[in-house]
Amino acid sequence: MTRAPPAWLRSARVISGLTIVLLIVLCAALAPLIAPHDPNEQNLVATFLPPAWAKGGDPAFPFGTDSLGRDVLSRLIFGARVAMLVAVLASLGAMLIGAVLAYVAGYFGGRIDALIGRAVDVWMSFPPVILSLILMVGLGVGLRNVILAIILVDWTRFCRVLRGEVLVVARKDYVAAARLLGFSHWRAITREIVPASLPLLITLVSLEMGIDVIVEAILSFVGLSVSAETPAWGQMIADARQYIYDSPWNLIFPILAIFFAVFGFNMLGDGLRRTLDVRLTATQRV
Amino acid sequence: MLIASDLAVSAALANGAVPVIQDLNFSLAPGRVLGLVGESGAGKSMIGRAVAQLLPSGFSVTRGELLFDGQDLVRMPLDKRRELLGREIAFVPQEPLSGLNPVLTVGRQIDEHLARLAVGDARTRRARALVMLDAVHLPRGAELLGKYPHQLSGGMCQRVLIAMAFASRPKLLVADEPTTALDVTIQARIVQLIAEMQRHDGTSVIFITHDLRLAAQICDDILVLYAGRPAERGPARRVFSQPAHPYTRCLQLSNPAMSGPRRGLYALPERMPGLSALKTIQGCLFAPRCPSAVGACARALPPFTEVDDGHIAACIRITATAEISVPAPAAANAPKTGTPLLAVEGLSKTFRTARGFFRHDVVAAVRGVSFTLHENEFVGIVGESGSGKSTLARMLCGLDAPSQGTIVIAGRDVSDGSSRSNAHRRAHVQMVFQDPQSALNPRRRVASIVTQALEATGKVDWEERLARAKALLSEIGMPPEAAQRFPAQLSGGQRQRVNIARALCVAPNILVADEIVSGLDVSVQAQLLDLLMWLRRARAFSMLFISHDLSVVRYLCDRVLVMYRGEVVESGPTIQVFATPRHPYTRALLAAMPPDDLSAAWPPQSLEIEAAPLAGKAVEADA
Repeated sequence: MTRAPPAWLRSARVISGLTIVLLIVLCAALAPLIAPHDPNEQNLVATFLPPAWAKGGDPAFPFGTDSLGRDVLSRLIFGARVAMLVAVLASLGAMLIGAVLAYVAGYFGGRIDALIGRAVDVWMSFPPVILSLILMVGLGVGLRNVILAIILVDWTRFCRVLRGEVLVVARKDYVAAARLLGFSHWRAITREIVPASLPLLITLVSLEMGIDVIVEAILSFVGLSVSAETPAWGQMIADARQYIYDSPWNLIFPILAIFFAVFGFNMLGDGLRRTLDVRLTATQRV
Repeated sequence: MLIASDLAVSAALANGAVPVIQDLNFSLAPGRVLGLVGESGAGKSMIGRAVAQLLPSGFSVTRGELLFDGQDLVRMPLDKRRELLGREIAFVPQEPLSGLNPVLTVGRQIDEHLARLAVGDARTRRARALVMLDAVHLPRGAELLGKYPHQLSGGMCQRVLIAMAFASRPKLLVADEPTTALDVTIQARIVQLIAEMQRHDGTSVIFITHDLRLAAQICDDILVLYAGRPAERGPARRVFSQPAHPYTRCLQLSNPAMSGPRRGLYALPERMPGLSALKTIQGCLFAPRCPSAVGACARALPPFTEVDDGHIAACIRITATAEISVPAPAAANAPKTGTPLLAVEGLSKTFRTARGFFRHDVVAAVRGVSFTLHENEFVGIVGESGSGKSTLARMLCGLDAPSQGTIVIAGRDVSDGSSRSNAHRRAHVQMVFQDPQSALNPRRRVASIVTQALEATGKVDWEERLARAKALLSEIGMPPEAAQRFPAQLSGGQRQRVNIARALCVAPNILVADEIVSGLDVSVQAQLLDLLMWLRRARAFSMLFISHDLSVVRYLCDRVLVMYRGEVVESGPTIQVFATPRHPYTRALLAAMPPDDLSAAWPPQSLEIEAAPLAGKAVEADA
């Protein structure tokens, strides 16, 4: 039996976004297999090598080497591990907290809604970068704490956006009908409201992943992310910053990596939003 | 004034052009009112849009002409037509709220309109605006000018729009279902107002409506449309009293009578062919549903036959029309006496509305309502919007907690709201919601919706649910294939059937139905009412039927409660209450309904009671 692919898989945005993201995820997962060198292997006789295609490049180091003679390509590939891990775990974590609170607030309304709403307001009034820096200083460096810090900063985004959607769906008569037919609150939320808000949730998560890549890069740029022996894109930018005039390539490659990762996630998120949002597709079809 | 000759409008669909309007001929003399009558999809609004040249994209006039004062509106250059519209030709829309811009004050919008008509300076325009508002009987005009549309009721908005429409003393007014979204008492006043303005200015009016009775009362001529083609045209009284086309006759018979003995309803089978189906029908478009159709009907489009002077019908069997009749309804199970199934005592509900940070208003939506419902009894609750009908229904079902009073269902007081009370209530009372669009989860299939009650137990597997769904579907007159469909793939009437089936799944003793036939076409309404009567005999349950439509309540219910501003002002056997109403409000409600008898003057010159304002809007704080 052949079935037509779902609408979201036929969107050019989704396909191109998904291709980029899968490519990066693949790099991250298979890093030890595909990286030509150990990312921390120093080669002090071959520092600041330009990319292989430039004059004086060495085919053994396709993207050149950095100030300690480490292979830039290998470091980029290993850096994807940190970026993807943070993107996936932090966005899912933020979604979990934010979504649960949003469903509770939107469904029950009243005082609970007001309480959660105020908490989000207060939370959001802290500048996000400062808040995550303070959290990192408090929690200490390390991958786990980076993820935790991002979750603690970014759950409010999910809560805010999702609550509005939940509020609309929860007031529909079919939710009331489900309650009248004996659905518990839990069942009413999971069977009636969650499916209706799932498109929005998926979209938010994919956009959040792009944001998380940037936040992780910022934190590792200022040295508050993973420890020095783990390669990370932000760290590579920080290292290359000092030699920006001697070896601009060292700066450009990690920036491009971040750019493509974020671009991929945004493309995916935007494509999903366009194809999954019922209201949007309805108006386009008319 | 306005002459349509051989007008045809086509829609470009994927499989070619389909005629949306065809063979349209009418002439509207100055100062006359022409009623365009038909169900949704008949093309009534398309004619109004053709006059305004506001046809949706893909639709175009393909043939004929539309002469306004001798000028062809169809082929008129854009700037010239713009000159006419809003000046010589005015419009009153169906949804008064969407006819006004929500972010501008009423005064600003009237002022802009008058400025376009080049009425003097700002001061003259303001004075003129006040005169206009006074003419449509809106009190405190100066205060009104500073208000925004959402601060007004629907009826007030419609009056403002009528005032604006008549500001330029138009020669032609197109009123597209101007009263459909309003309460009956307000409907009567709006109709009265249009008639008054029309007489005063000598305006010609095209009055688009789905209500044949209303059209017969206020129009000089009626044109009945079916699937875009005129079915019958003639003087209003004649068309109403001696319909020549079977469709007109069926429309009339599908509407419950307001006087005389309770008669059966004629429920037209199926529904009007949709745009894409139109191409496949050969011959008379109505033939597939027509009770007097013969073989010849399906062969060619019937020609227009003159029945009488100026009375034309597109039917080859006009003589058979008068013979269409409906059997008397089968006797319903008589309500049982004895201990009532449901007893409500002193039920009240107050809402708090915030007014500033520490202050709030208390609005009483329902005050001290008491009544009983016996086994097998159908009780109607009538009243206007804001009278507390829906709040009462929600309290009975447990969706809102009462502020005061008790609800006893099958011997158990459930007003404490404990989980055992709620379980007891659920087993006995189910609700059918008003708007199937909102009441059916668009992501569930029909089978899953109607058997949702089984899902709640969590113990029933899908096979069993599917079997049960098919049984329920056959009970409500839907094919078993419908089980796999999504609500979006059903028609409005089918959705409402699914809505009913879901409530029936738990076999409740009491069904609470909140306006379940309003917003449906009369033929679909008749089908649903038939279904309810059939279910009543087959299933033996009691029902609380909430409606603003008195004729439906009269047809369906044994007893009726009349609610006004949250209180039950009158109750008793339906026939008796409607024949000899005691409370002035009941009298006003009844007077506002267009009667079957055309000799009575309608609308009545004075409606006795001021319409109930919307709860929370004008009801000031009680505490």
